[in-house]
Amino acid sequence: MRVRTIKPWWLIAAFLSGLAFAMAAEDLILSTEESRLEFSAPRVHFLVGKPLERLRNASEVPFDFKITLWSGTRNHLLREVPARFVVSYDLWEEKFSVTRLLPTRRTARHLTDIAAEAWCLQQMSQDVTGVSATEPLWARLEIRAQDGKEAGLPFGRGNITDSGISLTSLIEILSRPAATTQPHWTIETGPVTLEELRRGRRRG
Amino acid sequence: MRKLLIMGIFATVLPAAPLPDEPPEQEAGPTNVNTRLIVESVRVAGRWSAKLSNPLRSDLDQIAGQNFDPPLLDRLRDRIKQELKVPDVRMHVAKGDMPDHVIVNFEIGAEHEKRFDLDLARFLYHSRQGWSGQGHATVNIHQNAFSFGMVSDGDRLSERYAGIQAGYERRHVGTDRLQLRFDFSSYHEQWNQATLLEAAPGDIYRTRTHFSPLATVVILEPLEVSFGVDFARYRLSLPVAKTESSNAVVSTLRYHQRWGSAGLHSGRDEGEHDLRASYSLRAGTHVLESDPAFARHQAEARYRFRRGHQDLSVGFLGGTISGRAPLFERFVLGNAETLRGWNKFDLDPLGASHVAHGSIDYGYRGFLVFYDTGAVWDRPEEREQKQSLGLGCKKSGFQLAVAFPVRSGTVNPVFYAGMNF
Repeated sequence: MRVRTIKPWWLIAAFLSGLAFAMAAEDLILSTEESRLEFSAPRVHFLVGKPLERLRNASEVPFDFKITLWSGTRNHLLREVPARFVVSYDLWEEKFSVTRLLPTRRTARHLTDIAAEAWCLQQMSQDVTGVSATEPLWARLEIRAQDGKEAGLPFGRGNITDSGISLTSLIEILSRPAATTQPHWTIETGPVTLEELRRGRRRG
Repeated sequence: MRKLLIMGIFATVLPAAPLPDEPPEQEAGPTNVNTRLIVESVRVAGRWSAKLSNPLRSDLDQIAGQNFDPPLLDRLRDRIKQELKVPDVRMHVAKGDMPDHVIVNFEIGAEHEKRFDLDLARFLYHSRQGWSGQGHATVNIHQNAFSFGMVSDGDRLSERYAGIQAGYERRHVGTDRLQLRFDFSSYHEQWNQATLLEAAPGDIYRTRTHFSPLATVVILEPLEVSFGVDFARYRLSLPVAKTESSNAVVSTLRYHQRWGSAGLHSGRDEGEHDLRASYSLRAGTHVLESDPAFARHQAEARYRFRRGHQDLSVGFLGGTISGRAPLFERFVLGNAETLRGWNKFDLDPLGASHVAHGSIDYGYRGFLVFYDTGAVWDRPEEREQKQSLGLGCKKSGFQLAVAFPVRSGTVNPVFYAGMNF
């Protein structure tokens, strides 16, 4: 009887495939709550690296979010929704504070990093009334950390609170490609139908 | 009954209280949660921090005790950068010793010295004297600055000189209080007809070169002294080519003080005062094998007061030369900085051995009016006070003005425009 052994490079390939799969699993997770489509991305962390360094130096860091939804086919754009969140880190309480500037202003305080990230995504939920339950949907989430000096442009330097940034300007900022040095994340999911989501089947 | 009352209170209070898992949400308030914190102290660290002006120090000191205000601190950081001419100032914020207090540290990044710098030192158009310009390129390598520049100037002296300038500067020789500098320059000259008619044949030269090693010592802030030697050689415009030397001992005493506050906070604008004064002596001596022997004394002072959009400046210049000095050492009035509106060739085409000049400039929101008065003379009986008036605009180093000499008869305005003069 001939005994077949597993060659080491197969093991390496299997490990690398697993690693690649794990990395690819940093995806957007959709769920529904009544007529709203909700988003979560537990593997995506944007309060890291340079933005976190700036936050720990008492600066506020603006993050621009954009949700893009396609329905029916991948070419049929259903909705593009931008939002700007300003995050700060309380040096004494060691907790995060997040303010959503657009479309309406809301603030959440005393959050951990994970909770702050999750809160931002919660604020991006979309009303999908009118979308057929069997219609395939695709979703994409883009997140960009803005440099404090450029965040308010073209409305004045740096002071995001007083920048009075408009939705149109935010769309314009997000329509430009992200700079290579700018921390940014893009994750996608789909196709998935509302019916599937309501049945509790989640796509990852 | 009591149980029912307690249950009733709980039933009323509990729904209103936030659940521990739910983050409290608010509609308004600052985006940076640290603005609630109080600044305990502000520190400036780095090699050049001792050179900060008093107004800026005063504004930095005023931050302590106030709420943490990032835009205000950003503006202060920009002012430190601008004042010290450093490429980078970093702001670090850390917890203070007292609860809910922070310490702000500004770090002047000496290690990130700007390696290459281009500088337009002077650019000017004068309706009588034409264009003048001066630019430098500087390479900084570990506290050593190597510069190379070109110049063509028809405004400052009675000649137009054009050529190259090169220099080496060491800003820190063991201590910040000692600086060394070596300058080399080589010029070709052009002369106005009025000067050629007045000058003796041996006064006019075609080319000149200078080499001047100088040391500067900061005696006691804000007083510093420079001393060194200026070796000049110039080729005379004689039928037989002849080169002369003018080697002079050079020393300058400078004083620069600033006080008051530029007023970062509304209602606390005391105004900013700036006083610069200098006295310089250049003595050409046979000990250094100089052909002409002379002693040139010059005293200058300028006081400036800024408050809000108002800017007042009062200047004084006085000087005297004893002995026979080459033309490039002589005093000139009637250019873009002195007796504006007058033509220097009408006042004294050769320059003079004595000078006295005063000026008052007043600016409001970039609009400028000025008054100049002064005289140049060789002999006391030639002394005649001249005056001029002008108006224009001045913004961020750029100036555009028209000036009128005050005299009876025709009005001949002089127009000039330029940067950094």
